[in-house]
Amino acid sequence: MSAPARHWVLRSKSERIALRLPVRALVALALLSLVLLVTCCVSLATGTYGVALNEVIDTLRGFSISRAIDNVVWEFRFPRTLAAALVGAMMALSGAALQNTTRNGLADPSLVGVSQGAALAVVSLTVVFPDVSGALRPWAAFAGAILVALAIQGLSHTRQGGSAIRFILMGIGLSTFISSITSALMTYGDIDRAMAALSWLAGSINAASWSDVWTLGTWCTVLLPALLAISRSSSATRMGEATAISLGVRTKLIRNLQLAIAVALAAIATSVVGPLGFVGLIAPHAARRIAPAGIGLNLLITAMVGAALVSLADLVGRAAFAPIQIPAGLLTALIGVPLFIVLMVRSRSTASH
Amino acid sequence: MSTIAAPNSGTHPVRAWSGVPVLLGVLVLAFLLHIAVGAKQLSIGTVIEALTNFDQTVFDHVIVRNLRLPRAVLAVIVGASLSLAGALMQGVTRNPLADPALLGLTAGAAFAVVIATSVLGLTSMIFIPWIAMLGALGAALVVYLIARLVPGGATPLSLTLSGAAISAFLSAVISVVHLLDQDTFENLRVWLTGGLAGRDITLLLYVGPPIALALIGGVLLAPRVTVLAMGDEVAQGLGVKTGALKVQLLAVVVVLTACSVALAGPLGFIGLVIPHVVRLYVGSDYRWIVPYAALAGAIYLLGVDTIARVAIPPREISTGIITAMIGAPLFVQLVRRRTR
Repeated sequence: MSAPARHWVLRSKSERIALRLPVRALVALALLSLVLLVTCCVSLATGTYGVALNEVIDTLRGFSISRAIDNVVWEFRFPRTLAAALVGAMMALSGAALQNTTRNGLADPSLVGVSQGAALAVVSLTVVFPDVSGALRPWAAFAGAILVALAIQGLSHTRQGGSAIRFILMGIGLSTFISSITSALMTYGDIDRAMAALSWLAGSINAASWSDVWTLGTWCTVLLPALLAISRSSSATRMGEATAISLGVRTKLIRNLQLAIAVALAAIATSVVGPLGFVGLIAPHAARRIAPAGIGLNLLITAMVGAALVSLADLVGRAAFAPIQIPAGLLTALIGVPLFIVLMVRSRSTASH
Repeated sequence: MSTIAAPNSGTHPVRAWSGVPVLLGVLVLAFLLHIAVGAKQLSIGTVIEALTNFDQTVFDHVIVRNLRLPRAVLAVIVGASLSLAGALMQGVTRNPLADPALLGLTAGAAFAVVIATSVLGLTSMIFIPWIAMLGALGAALVVYLIARLVPGGATPLSLTLSGAAISAFLSAVISVVHLLDQDTFENLRVWLTGGLAGRDITLLLYVGPPIALALIGGVLLAPRVTVLAMGDEVAQGLGVKTGALKVQLLAVVVVLTACSVALAGPLGFIGLVIPHVVRLYVGSDYRWIVPYAALAGAIYLLGVDTIARVAIPPREISTGIITAMIGAPLFVQLVRRRTR
């Protein structure tokens, strides 16, 4: 930023409360919402059963055009579209929180093994105990993810404190270990269940139903405010642990809380659609690039970017090779890896540790 | 840089030689055991008899010759190749975390084979090793170039990270290809997990000669790797043409990795684990590390494969899964020690 950003200053009459809002960030937020909205509408209209865009809008406004259109839009495509947006937002926030706690721009739930932990828990549920109800999935995913997160935390913390790069490499090592167990389950499970688990493992949103949307929505409404609440203190930890401590922040507590929320967000999103790679990596960087803002607004933009990204990935994956659906997770990986490499090449932290 | 000490540290030539017959003995034992153990338990005596004095009418002999011997041979070749490749890579990149799988070579080879078989429709076995070599070479170069671009150069950490990134990218593409072409998926699913079960031994006709050449080449180049491991300047000062040597070593590593992948699918961590274990015993002289790594790698893979076959009796665990289960903790330990 060469020129100082313009701000809108909102004051209440008595000047008790004043908000200083960066214009650029607000505009970006509005534009992103628009992009998300358009993507969602197009996504609702696209598919084997053609529905015109204006028909979609009418259906959404409550006018019933035909039973078939109602059915397609409300029962099949709407939950999927919503799930894509929610999952994207959750993964993006999880990545942002991970990047904050580890002070590591390369952190992403799928890179540090958190997604793999959740995936192992869910795959063992589907392959080994197929009779267990789907309601247990998010909990199992959370349990698996938190175990991996704790293991990585424990392993990467030494007397000198944690190192960002060690955290990532630990994650890679652990996630390889966990994926090997997952693939053991996949190879020797029943072929039908293995196929189901495979499409889930690639991060596919096509099976999302209304109950999934409710699961995601509920958790989102719980975890998002929590993340926003602790984000103020965590903005001090960004400047380094010593600075934060001298500013009176209980760094350890903040760190652990933030990590728990990051893990929870990733685990729940993973339990519904499978491990969506690299969204948590891309979104926070994109958000920072689009509009520099305070940490709260930044988190909102991050969530929006994530939602738009996964919605777009889902739409493209669905439309590009029409009868065959490419899972959104593969597309996000294809976009995310080059970005990861660019970030790595630019980073200074990789070399100095 | 704890693993890179001066050459010949504590390794007396006599002592170093003495390990060879021991390892060879263990190798023969592991080989026979690998053949003897299985759904039908055979005695070591029967195995030796079947190998030396084959009688087609004896059922046990047919089991040994047709079912178990190919797999044991495969384990020896793949284990030796991968750990020798890993040892050379660790020397050249001066990187204790180097391994054909971690640095993306295996993923590159697998990617090339998947693309060739499902997109280009090249199913003839003659091409597979060459395609795999191209893939491994391409991946190696890309990973190295990316790591070079990272500020600080090709450090172990940047190499490992860029290897992981490239592997992730390639496996995403492999998955997309799979979904677009479900028919090849059934065939490739087991292959891609890496293992020695049900492999086509006739592929060895095409893969054998390049592997043999590369193994010999690796052992011959090994003494100069010791010098290279001390740094490019030192090596140049001692009269080693580092550029040419690196090209030769890259060729050896690529051939070994690609042929192993063609034979057994992507098997991770063998090239990481074995050289480190070997180094504990023979010090840091690559003249010894390389041949020892080849022997120990063959023994290791025979052992792992035996476990894979008998661990949960009616079924079989994929070999690649077990090597990852053993190798990943060691990787974590190395990262811990390295970045402390």
